[in-house]
Amino acid sequence: MQRITQLLSRQIPAVLYGMQWFLLICSVLILARMLKGPSSADRLAALNIFSGIVLAFLVITGVQKSGILYLDVALVYDIFGFLGFLAISHFLKNKFFSGDKTE
Amino acid sequence: MIDFLSICIAYAGFLTAVIFGIAGVAGLFRFPDPYARLQAGSLCGTTAVFSIFIACIAIAPERSIAARIIIIGIIFLVSAPTASHIVARFTWNSGIMPWRPKGTKRSADMYAQEKAPVKQQNKTD
Repeated sequence: MQRITQLLSRQIPAVLYGMQWFLLICSVLILARMLKGPSSADRLAALNIFSGIVLAFLVITGVQKSGILYLDVALVYDIFGFLGFLAISHFLKNKFFSGDKTE
Repeated sequence: MIDFLSICIAYAGFLTAVIFGIAGVAGLFRFPDPYARLQAGSLCGTTAVFSIFIACIAIAPERSIAARIIIIGIIFLVSAPTASHIVARFTWNSGIMPWRPKGTKRSADMYAQEKAPVKQQNKTD
């Protein structure tokens, strides 16, 4: 048991590094959907996911480097990202209300 | 020294995050409809990110880092479904029809209900 624990805990920095690469690839694909998306609702959905992915990336970086500053930045990014998202959707609702229809 | 149980929790959380993240991104590209894409995105966003948070709490090197991750998780748990709801409402109000497979027909009442917000918006325009 002790030896297995040591073996697994030695692999944790590599796992964190791999998770960072996975989140990077996910965010690139989500950005592709955001650029491609036919209607503005698709773009908003992609933006919603993208903010969550960036939040997870910041938390993993904070745990990896054991830096508290990353986690503070993640907290503020979450709150202000939600407020910015609210502002963007309100703006689009007023501006291009029935502008794009997929059908 | 991190004990055995927290390492198991961390590995399980990262595995869950990878599975749900791949499912969410694949659904984002495969589904035909903004509503279905929003569902896939909510799956990816909430489940994958939250299991990453749980795994990071299990292997956090200090107590202060774990406490901050818990606070971030609470705020994320409030804000992400609210944002998804706002996107769904925006999609519904902008007049996009939910996708149907070819060959199935809507009944007349359903069609009138679905058409209603579009007509109101066209009147205001």
